[in-house]
Amino acid sequence: MLDGLDRYAHLGSPLHHWDPRCKLVGLITLMFAFSFVQDPQLLPAMLAVTSGLYAVSRMPLAFLLTRLRTPGIFVVVVAILLPFLSGTTVITRIGPLSLRQEGTVAMALIVAKFISILTISLVLFGTAPFLTTIKTLRALGLPPILGDMTLLAYRYLYEIGNDLKTMERAMGLRGFRARRPSSRVLDILASLAGTMLVRSYEQSERIYKAMTLRGYGHSPRPRDQFQARPRDWVGLACVCLVAAGFVAMEIWLRGSGG
Amino acid sequence: MHIPDGILPITVSAAGYATSGAVTWYSLRKISQKENAQASIPKASLLTAAFFVASWIHIPVPPTSVHLVLNGLLGAVLGYYAFPAILIGLFFQAVMFQHGGLTTLGVNATMMGVPAILAFFIFRLRRVVGKESRWGTGVFGFLAGAVGLGIAVLISWGLLITTIPAHLDVEAERASIYALTMAHVPLIVLEGIFTALVALFLQRVKPELLED
Repeated sequence: MLDGLDRYAHLGSPLHHWDPRCKLVGLITLMFAFSFVQDPQLLPAMLAVTSGLYAVSRMPLAFLLTRLRTPGIFVVVVAILLPFLSGTTVITRIGPLSLRQEGTVAMALIVAKFISILTISLVLFGTAPFLTTIKTLRALGLPPILGDMTLLAYRYLYEIGNDLKTMERAMGLRGFRARRPSSRVLDILASLAGTMLVRSYEQSERIYKAMTLRGYGHSPRPRDQFQARPRDWVGLACVCLVAAGFVAMEIWLRGSGG
Repeated sequence: MHIPDGILPITVSAAGYATSGAVTWYSLRKISQKENAQASIPKASLLTAAFFVASWIHIPVPPTSVHLVLNGLLGAVLGYYAFPAILIGLFFQAVMFQHGGLTTLGVNATMMGVPAILAFFIFRLRRVVGKESRWGTGVFGFLAGAVGLGIAVLISWGLLITTIPAHLDVEAERASIYALTMAHVPLIVLEGIFTALVALFLQRVKPELLED
């Protein structure tokens, strides 16, 4: 399920065995530390830490590349434009375009930070089943309403997605072709969206009854069972130290650079 | 429409988290004040999933096709559940499809969610002309959809252009925000029309979905 995100959730790397709460806190701290970085001198270290973590997770490289492809388009557009549009120091000229130093540095920063943060989030969510991730969030204090909504929405997301596919196929078989945004086409597509809402609304009423019969809202909530061992805490401390190192280096470099 | 990781400075990401934290707290407080709040959780959850899926519907705009954001419609239907729903939807987007990002989740949620709440208030104004009036539902549905997307677009381009480390001058920044927002006007109109059509459909088929 989940578009193959947790396809490698059952490998046996140290990252897979790390207590999910420590992993979540540690890796998110690291992501924010990376997004704090503004000095290009820190980029090699950032990419090294990221590739190290990905290597430890034992997930195949092809998995990372397919995941980077779609969101990469947006970043590529920014990355192509910036070196030409932004800055005053011209490095070289390509025809009528001039490649500017400030823009190039800004591009390198954006691309490297994007790749690093995305890779780490893939390590975070790819090394545990998604349900474990939601339970972890709940154990870390996610409000109960948000927790329940996330679990239920996740449970029915693909079912409703399949419903949409079935309905679109049925419309196609009956001769519906959306070529132009005419009033007829919009009306039909709005009915399609509306039907999805009505169907899921009706389904939710049945689900609520079934949940109430099973004690929802009456019996105490089951506690999530997570047990952190000493080595989980050591892992968390190490990652937080690395994150703090990046922040400290960044502050120091900013100070020394004026 | 989703700002990815790595582009915004950390202060903006942190401000995004602070704002979305505050709005989530406000929404959850409003939800728990309702009687029988528990019963509406499954409804809001499944509608969250349904909205997520409905945004996959592609509208043909030759030579390409666009998908709608539906944050205005979401606000009109889900009311105070709109913000948590958007937060969850964007979390799924970021984690499953790598659209948007985790460090920018707060910013993206604010960008889409605050206009959704605004759309909810706009759509509620149809009471003035009477809930049964098809004209009222159509007009306020259009406004909810158009304002929902319009403000989201304005916030997103404003943020991107003012925070990207480009050495542009203030005039150029203002002009480009204006131009980029103007380029979205056809999409904003389309979103408004679509929202009005879905609202009219729901009024005909399942009016209780539009109750607040």
